[in-house]
Amino acid sequence: MKLMTYIESAAELETFLKYKNAELDYELILGCDALSRYSKTTIDELLTLVNLAVKDNLPVVLEWDALYQEERFQKAKAVIDHLPLHDFKAIRVQDPGAIHYIKTQFPWMKMQVILENGNHNLEGLKKWEEYLGDQCERLVLSNELSKEMLKDYARELKTPIEIQAFGRILLFYSPRLLLSPLEKEQMRKSTIEASGSSEESPHTGFPLIENQHGTFMFNVKDLSLLDHLKEIEEMSIHCLRVDMRFDNCFSNYLNAMIDLFSGKITEISPEVKKLHPRPLIKGFYNINKTDVLFTKLKNKRTQRQDQNYVGEIVDVERDQQLALLIKTEAFKEGVASSVFMITPEGKEKTLSLPWVKMSTGESINSAGKNDLVLIPYINGVTVKTQVYLTIP
Amino acid sequence: MGHWTPELLSPAGSLEKLKVSVLYGADAVYLGGQKFGLRQASDNFTYEELAEGVEFAHSRGALVYVVLNSFLHDKDLAELPEFLALLSELKVDAVIVSDLGVISTIKKHSNLVIHLSTQASCLNVESAKLWQQMGAQRIVLGREVTIKEAAKIKQATGLEIEMFVHGSMCMAYSGNCVISNYTQGRDSNRGGCAHSCRFEYSIDFNGATSGSSEEANKKAYFMSSKDLEGIRLLPEFIEAKIDSLKVEGRNKSHHYAGTISKVYGDALRYYREHGNFLSSDMLLWEEELRKVSHRDYSTGSLATYAGEDTIYNQREHDDNEFVVSGIVLEAARDQHLLVDVKSAFHPGDILEVMPFKGPTTKLRVDFLKTLSGVDLVKSKPGSVVKIPFLPGAEKFNLIRKAVRV
Repeated sequence: MKLMTYIESAAELETFLKYKNAELDYELILGCDALSRYSKTTIDELLTLVNLAVKDNLPVVLEWDALYQEERFQKAKAVIDHLPLHDFKAIRVQDPGAIHYIKTQFPWMKMQVILENGNHNLEGLKKWEEYLGDQCERLVLSNELSKEMLKDYARELKTPIEIQAFGRILLFYSPRLLLSPLEKEQMRKSTIEASGSSEESPHTGFPLIENQHGTFMFNVKDLSLLDHLKEIEEMSIHCLRVDMRFDNCFSNYLNAMIDLFSGKITEISPEVKKLHPRPLIKGFYNINKTDVLFTKLKNKRTQRQDQNYVGEIVDVERDQQLALLIKTEAFKEGVASSVFMITPEGKEKTLSLPWVKMSTGESINSAGKNDLVLIPYINGVTVKTQVYLTIP
Repeated sequence: MGHWTPELLSPAGSLEKLKVSVLYGADAVYLGGQKFGLRQASDNFTYEELAEGVEFAHSRGALVYVVLNSFLHDKDLAELPEFLALLSELKVDAVIVSDLGVISTIKKHSNLVIHLSTQASCLNVESAKLWQQMGAQRIVLGREVTIKEAAKIKQATGLEIEMFVHGSMCMAYSGNCVISNYTQGRDSNRGGCAHSCRFEYSIDFNGATSGSSEEANKKAYFMSSKDLEGIRLLPEFIEAKIDSLKVEGRNKSHHYAGTISKVYGDALRYYREHGNFLSSDMLLWEEELRKVSHRDYSTGSLATYAGEDTIYNQREHDDNEFVVSGIVLEAARDQHLLVDVKSAFHPGDILEVMPFKGPTTKLRVDFLKTLSGVDLVKSKPGSVVKIPFLPGAEKFNLIRKAVRV
């Protein structure tokens, strides 16, 4: 199992090298503040890190995951153009613009393509594979995918896949600066960190970051699939990302992670887990049912079905009449002798039509689409009741 | 009518709203079927409604685009080919898509024209080039892109470019927000957005990691965006040769669909006739845009990247100058108008009837009756009433009432 993790400074690299052992399979992700969403590493510091990595022949990958409008994208391109790209084993890219730029300008460079937004179907993933060809070294998949989906994808895709195993869950990414307007004191800082809670949400303490790329909000619980490493490996997923950039995770967890990924231990000890400031969850790893509530978002009974549809009741005058707005050609050739109705509450009614009148009171024998007609009153029918032809 | 203007693309949350948008001046409408879109709570269209909507729009020279812009999971995607066949049969003018799997499925199963949804957050020239290679004919740019940048993207790619000109805005890069997924169990990118960005949050700058410190917390609607209003920037859109101007709001009211279509439609028509916007009606158009339900307006990132002044730091509230009183269902010449009541009004009230073209006309409610002729003292929303006939009033005209002077 390969450990993918972030290194943000020479001191972190030194610590990593001190703890790492010969059994550990790993890659180090290096970023800089100009290209990476959360990195505080300057370009000069990145260059120092790259030099150290080259000296020790370490597998390092460059991260370019910020999103950019055209003007800002030009600046990011200029940074990319001046970095020693040959010193990196691959580049991790997310913006389709970055993907296209690397594909066309640096066709020799391997890409680890971050497909964490959407990309929840095999058809699309295969299309990315096909488009990128040999240049695609890895597909970094969304943490909204369940293990069943991951298992399928690992089996069906030619390209190795990577998932996040530990760290913050990003919920929201805006290019706008949303925290500094609240606290002018904070404006001097290049990165502002805070937490947010809302009385309208049962969840409290969403971690927040504002930096030059905009504002980010994270979930109140962090992701950990560390208890499932064996199961994940059995799915043929061999790259797992462990994000220790926040909450002192690097110092709290690094040793344990190295031991875990090199097989020296099988689980993180409760003492280490206790150091984590937020609860840990498995996210959607077991199941993703985020579409099941959709059926409750609207009343299906007030929604017309196409077959035998006549129209909708738009007015009820108790003991007098109902107003029916005709929405199809069902009465074009002649009005029916009876209709079937379904009320918004789900009550079903059948109504004989001894008469059908226009709003002016004249009886009619036929009616067209968009006509409003009056029909006899029946108890229990309300506005938005849907009306259908009665099928003998 | 010699001067070129972009297409005005209005929302159609239902068949009735489609008719309202088209009749009030939209050149094209976008709508969703029962699945695959991002507005699960909207009425959306059944197949028969879609057929009628396409026929209605096409017969009036308007185009119809169908949204398939959810980030579909495999099981959703399996059901797509059947729907694509129906859309092809109905000759819809394009589909709006954000997911590469959906694009690939469309290309395998149909010849439908593909527009890339704003959900894909296409923000730069290189990104547009990629999506062009994938088969997109038009790009609906991310709302973070300026008009100047959009012009560059168009110039560099030759693609059709669509930009939002009016309506609510996501604060996040579209497609980059999953708050609802994790906090409400509803996939925001499959139509279940719970609008958590409109909540008030207490921001703790001291307890960044624990959220525990109660002191020095700032309460704010810090993630809520003001609404977009681009009417003053129409000359810039035209100069940049932006192909289509989109109005957000499939979930919004008939009043909104009609008013926004009418205002932007009138403004663009004026330009086609005169080659400029130096109309004395400009103030009137802006005034009209304030008569529909809206948050404070801003120009978002259209001119420059959105700044602090684009944050809507207030609780959501109704602050309407006008409310829609109803929609004309029938105009019985010299007798009465039948009105589908949307909000209450009384005998003696002065209402405004919005014709499809030209200025509104005032109408005094000299009588208010039920369909059987019984006098009413107040109309009830969800009922149909008779009010005096007004020459020129037509089926689907909106009737509104001032609620605040």
